Amino acid sequence: MAEMETKHTATKNKGCKRMNKKSTKVDLTPMVDLGFLLITFFVFTTTMAQPKAMGIIYPKDSNNPSPLCESCVLTVIPAADNKLYYYEGMLAVNTVLKTTSFDATGFRDLLLTKKEAVKSIRGNAEELSLIIRPADESTYKNFVDVLDEINITGVKRYFIDDITAEEKQLLDPDN
Amino acid sequence: MGRAKIPRKSTNIDMTAMCDVAFLLLSFFILATKQKPPEAVAVQTPSSTQSTAAKDPSESILITLNAEGKCYLMLGEKTKRLEIVQDLNTTRSLGLSEAEMVKLSKMQVIGMPLGMIKGVLGLNQAVPAEKLEGIPIKDSANNEMMDWMRSVSNAYKGTNQRELEDNILLKGDMEALYPQFKNIKVALKKNDIYKFRIVTNGEAAPLGSELYKNNKSGKKAE
Repeated sequence: MAEMETKHTATKNKGCKRMNKKSTKVDLTPMVDLGFLLITFFVFTTTMAQPKAMGIIYPKDSNNPSPLCESCVLTVIPAADNKLYYYEGMLAVNTVLKTTSFDATGFRDLLLTKKEAVKSIRGNAEELSLIIRPADESTYKNFVDVLDEINITGVKRYFIDDITAEEKQLLDPDN
Repeated sequence: MGRAKIPRKSTNIDMTAMCDVAFLLLSFFILATKQKPPEAVAVQTPSSTQSTAAKDPSESILITLNAEGKCYLMLGEKTKRLEIVQDLNTTRSLGLSEAEMVKLSKMQVIGMPLGMIKGVLGLNQAVPAEKLEGIPIKDSANNEMMDWMRSVSNAYKGTNQRELEDNILLKGDMEALYPQFKNIKVALKKNDIYKFRIVTNGEAAPLGSELYKNNKSGKKAE
């Protein structure tokens, strides 16, 4: 198919130069390569572009709070400029906010060490309770990142709450 | 005594047939894949390690939050969108005619305050989403998402609550601020919808993490 019929014209005319007949065969190998490359490209991109859904559950507001052990509680506050502040236990007058980052070495390690600590105190790492209180300046991405780290490290109990006035004060002491 | 001579054959193979197959497959894949519908509102979703696929937009009630904090609602064609709009019309007495309600329910993107609905429906051309001002979600006093969600939950009254919760998708831009997300959450929560889904980009679970081990052992994460 790729080559065309080339007829040999037997008539020889004297004095007329014979044209150099070139083969019309084309090497199709690169074209096949290209074809398969495109196929692989399309196959991969179509299967990977699917968006994923993350389930999120909010509890019904209730008036009877469940008690938590103080050493099991970790409060994180995603704040402006992708900063993540946290403190352990209850908020007290002398509480100092510590900072960490959203990197794998930051927040994830923090959660894992806290889990270990809770396990050594209470004998069960599942008692770790994480409280998330995003500051008003934090972005939606920060929030999703926190939820994602919870999913990665397998923290069972977490609460999403609103930031309190005391915490706002701690974040911005000048105000 | 002559040895039988093995005729030398050329090693050239005719690639034509292979080329045909390659391009036939290529055209098949291109034509068979469902084209992603152009997004009415440009949103860059954050990524997560979730492995559950998001529902198709045609069967979901999609709340979109863009980077500027504007909020849009998209009612898929397989949802009870006409009932939702009819309910909204009665609860907020918008005074829309039957034809206007049908038109509103079929709008690709709903992104205007309740007071402006009649005006936008009266226009001949569709207004591009970025020109709309979005459904107000500023604070609890002026949160019209609450009215929309009330109508959604009214329209789905009597059906399985889980089915509805599975269909509510929230798609937020990375740059959107948290309080805006919180106001949407408040709107859902006020109407007894405690569970919804967040649309994210898929990402692999980090090696060695708890999630990675769970995935390996076949345990399903919630």
